[in-house]
Amino acid sequence: MKQLMCIVSKPPYAGAHSLELLEAAMVGAVFDFQVSLLFRADGIWNLVPGQNGQIIGSRTISNVLRAMPTYEVEQLYACAEAVRKAGLNLSDLESNVVLVEPNEQAHLLASQHAVIGAAP
Amino acid sequence: MIFTIAVHGAPYASQSNHHALQFARAAIAAGHGVTRVFFYHEAVYAALNSCVAPQDEIDITQAWQEFAADHEVELAVCIANGLKRGVLSANEAARYDMPAATLANGFELVGLGQLIDAVTSSDRYIEFPA
Repeated sequence: MKQLMCIVSKPPYAGAHSLELLEAAMVGAVFDFQVSLLFRADGIWNLVPGQNGQIIGSRTISNVLRAMPTYEVEQLYACAEAVRKAGLNLSDLESNVVLVEPNEQAHLLASQHAVIGAAP
Repeated sequence: MIFTIAVHGAPYASQSNHHALQFARAAIAAGHGVTRVFFYHEAVYAALNSCVAPQDEIDITQAWQEFAADHEVELAVCIANGLKRGVLSANEAARYDMPAATLANGFELVGLGQLIDAVTSSDRYIEFPA
């Protein structure tokens, strides 16, 4: 099975960026890729639960993330360094997230067939 | 080598389209193949038929059209990203009862599956971020 990773680097509700990448992840899974998501930089804020996007006329990213396993997108990674810099802990994030150090991210990236959203 | 190119940034707001176009031209000049350019996020604005480029600047929509015609490259615009930003084919304009079709000639609205298919079937997927 080919591997596809989508990287989310922007905070939630900063435009449509996060949601549009999550859509790409879901379609990738439908097309039989083994899809994982990596949240890095300010993208880790997408993983903080208890959001309510309706107040600002958006879909709620927390809800979309919780639907990911339904689409067989089961691997959610967060950059450990970005989480530390934000003053967060693993317990502050959605329950199914795995923290990965930068050197582990390099290995993860190297094992992908393709990476979507690899913006700086 | 066959490349799939993805553009993520809006014309004028980022260099994404310019960089992608230059890369695509260089790849073909070097003997590689580019079968599909995929427009995602704000890059879908490159497919609008209603933008007037300033006289001393490149008309990015026209540049893509010429490139696609010269090299038989498919210009694929993500339909979900396009519709909400006003990029409508004649069919979609009719479907949503909108006053005008805004998709430039040579571009096509496609599902995200087309991107995944292109990623699968090409040797390299190259992305030009915003």
